[in-house]
Amino acid sequence: MTLHRPRVNFFQSIVGIIALLLIIGHGLCSAVHAEDWIQWRGPNRNGISPESKWLNQWSDGGPTILWKATVGMGFSSFVVSNGKVFTMGNADNSDTVFALDAMTGIIKWKHTYPSDLGDKYFEGGTTGTPTIDGDNLYTLSRWGDVFCFQASTGKILWTRNVQVETGARVPSWGFTGAPLVIEKMLILNVGETGLALDKSTGKTLWQSSTKEAGYTTPVPWVTGGKSQVVFGSGQGYIGVDSLSGKEVWRMKWVTQYGVNAADPVIDGDRLFISSGYGKGAALIKPLASVEPELVWKSKVLRTQMNAAVLFDKHLYGIDGDTTEKPLLKCVELATGAEKWSDSTSGTRGLLIANGRLILLGEKGELIIAPASPSGFKPTSRAQVLGGKSWTAPILANGMLFCRNSRGEVVNVDLRTAATP
Amino acid sequence: MNRRSFIHTAASVSLLAQAPYILAQKPGRKWRIALIGSGWWGKNILKQALASGQCEVVALCDADSMALEVAVEQVNELSGDKPKRYKDYRELLEKEKPDIVIIATPDHWHALQTIAALKYGSHVFVEKPTGHTVNESRAMLKAAQDSGRVVQVGLHRRVGPHHVNAMKFLKSGAVGEVGMVRIFAHGGGGREQPQRNSEPPESLDWDLWCGPAPKRPFNGKLHPGGWRNFLDYANGTLGDWGVHWLDQVLMWTDEKYPKRVYSTGGRHIAGAAVLNDREQTSDAPDHQVAVYDFEKFTCVWEHRRFAENSAEKHKIGAYFYGTKGTLHIGWQDGWTFHPSRDSDKMLHEDSQLQQPDGHNLKILWDDFITAITDKKYPAAGIELAHRSSVLPLLGMISYKVGRSINWDGTKEQIIGDPSANALLSRPYRDPYTYPTV
Repeated sequence: MTLHRPRVNFFQSIVGIIALLLIIGHGLCSAVHAEDWIQWRGPNRNGISPESKWLNQWSDGGPTILWKATVGMGFSSFVVSNGKVFTMGNADNSDTVFALDAMTGIIKWKHTYPSDLGDKYFEGGTTGTPTIDGDNLYTLSRWGDVFCFQASTGKILWTRNVQVETGARVPSWGFTGAPLVIEKMLILNVGETGLALDKSTGKTLWQSSTKEAGYTTPVPWVTGGKSQVVFGSGQGYIGVDSLSGKEVWRMKWVTQYGVNAADPVIDGDRLFISSGYGKGAALIKPLASVEPELVWKSKVLRTQMNAAVLFDKHLYGIDGDTTEKPLLKCVELATGAEKWSDSTSGTRGLLIANGRLILLGEKGELIIAPASPSGFKPTSRAQVLGGKSWTAPILANGMLFCRNSRGEVVNVDLRTAATP
Repeated sequence: MNRRSFIHTAASVSLLAQAPYILAQKPGRKWRIALIGSGWWGKNILKQALASGQCEVVALCDADSMALEVAVEQVNELSGDKPKRYKDYRELLEKEKPDIVIIATPDHWHALQTIAALKYGSHVFVEKPTGHTVNESRAMLKAAQDSGRVVQVGLHRRVGPHHVNAMKFLKSGAVGEVGMVRIFAHGGGGREQPQRNSEPPESLDWDLWCGPAPKRPFNGKLHPGGWRNFLDYANGTLGDWGVHWLDQVLMWTDEKYPKRVYSTGGRHIAGAAVLNDREQTSDAPDHQVAVYDFEKFTCVWEHRRFAENSAEKHKIGAYFYGTKGTLHIGWQDGWTFHPSRDSDKMLHEDSQLQQPDGHNLKILWDDFITAITDKKYPAAGIELAHRSSVLPLLGMISYKVGRSINWDGTKEQIIGDPSANALLSRPYRDPYTYPTV
């Protein structure tokens, strides 16, 4: 396989600049490759890739698998930066953080530390996803180990176990949300409403009560000119002031086992929240100091893990727990009206790129379909993995990274001649 | 217990002046039901009760207020009922005096809660196995007989359609003479790393959760779920899955109990059990074999929580080995008969499971209500369920003492082995009192 020379056309650089501006707007400041995927849910934390030139159709043989790798048990997704793809997995009761060459899958560096498999009612293994900030890579283990690596070399810049040090209760399935970088802070979903560390030193900046965390990534939200972070917590969704950690609003939202795991989806001054175990979804308008205004609430989308993606006023999301057959649904954000529901794709992870859904089914089937409220009409399919996949795939520089629970990773080559 | 003895005990009800007479239900009035242990499985049972349209949920109880809150919300969404919340079942029983109590707490709580509910005159649906130790189960049986109330135990395989049909087939003689039964439940797993102990969830009364059992340091491995692999609160896979398949064996055979039990196993893959102030693992065996010697056949239990692969066709179920062939009764895979003679046909019937439980709780619940209204003996009544529940408990005693135990099933005593016999009961933690038979 010959390597493509990076080619960036005018449109793509504009997209890249817009993405960068959006990131800066969220208080993030990173040197981002035009099409890198530096954090959970992508450059804009919304499950939408800015990439437009990628292969959405292929011959019967399916797209090229550039390489395969094995990273250990787990459900961690990927981040991509400067030619490396990062993820985590567990083997022999140790977690390993991997930095693989994005083009070849060759291990550039890795770091292993003791960590319980934690196979309570599932296969266990790592569940969180790393986060890139410049040349730093941050990881959080299920049991509270935080690492700051130099992404280029794997050198540990600092590490601490925030569970032991803060006494935060470990939620039933461990800490899961990917770290969030806002300016100088590294914010973690540890404690009832998060924990903020100095991203350069690891020193605690603010912390919250030791009550159970939920499983979402801390989601940055700028509203009314103020920077908030929203957490799916053990007993609800809670917005805090990002600088002080002070609670601004709280939406009580009790879910079986305290599993609020799907990131809230932001739409201006409104947030869409959803949980599984039969709970359901709501569109809320959080206001300072009072209970959020409830725009609508229903059972239309009961998302256990991977959050829905909002695209053109419609949510594309997963309804149903891992114990049942999942439904992929399209739901109108404003009303909660279901536009369509599909039971055939078995979708467990998704993203949207260039107006198309990129879906990974539980059994490792990759499906491409237009993201449209008019119906679910797959245009391409390929079996890219065996085993069981619950992890959202990611798209970076035309390459789609997918994994299964056993830690088999594939790089699906969706580059076109025009892909940078 | 046969139908006649049930009627006999029902007749003795009038002697219990303190218990209100609620055996029969007036038309149009719904059963007032309460759930003790409002987690996942308890709610599955409750959903069947609500689906029947004959029940009103008046109260829910759990040591974890979060679980309670979630359950209250779900009941309200399903039925509009607004059940009262209780942390302590004693207060619930005292204040609500429900017609029916569902008990879906961990095993170590079954006996005290069942006996208390019967004392207040409630009919009881209690999860399997009946007790955590043999004499708890005996005390439950006695309390049920004394009360004349109906006690159904969650052994839904007694009524699951493919189990019932497989039993008909087996009892018809189509499998020939059965000399050996192998029952099993296999799954995946590996070495178990200790997990750090932690503060209990803010919503949980950990002391109450532990109740009469030893109070371990709280650990996320224990709750929610997970307690089945901690022998202080349950009896591992043998107590969980084993009881279902041992119950199937007793459903088939005319014999009421084995004469000898031997069990061995360990944690050769999971590693030694850990329990200290800092961290712990579970302590149930990761694999176990238990041999039950009956007069006319041998029954072997096996479980394994590692090496999950495709080497074996069935992961869960029972093989009845007969002179005419082998009958496999499974879970999702229904039942299959493999004839010995090539000229005979292989036979198969799919399972008919119900959602949301994935088993057959609906049929068992309906049978329970019918038993109450028609004064019939229920399909998984306490006497049958007691005998089935004793079997895994005996297996665990043999596993713990490391030798065979000879069982006198009429006196329910281990013969000539005082130290094994002592394990038919266990000390309760203060201030709880072990129930007397």
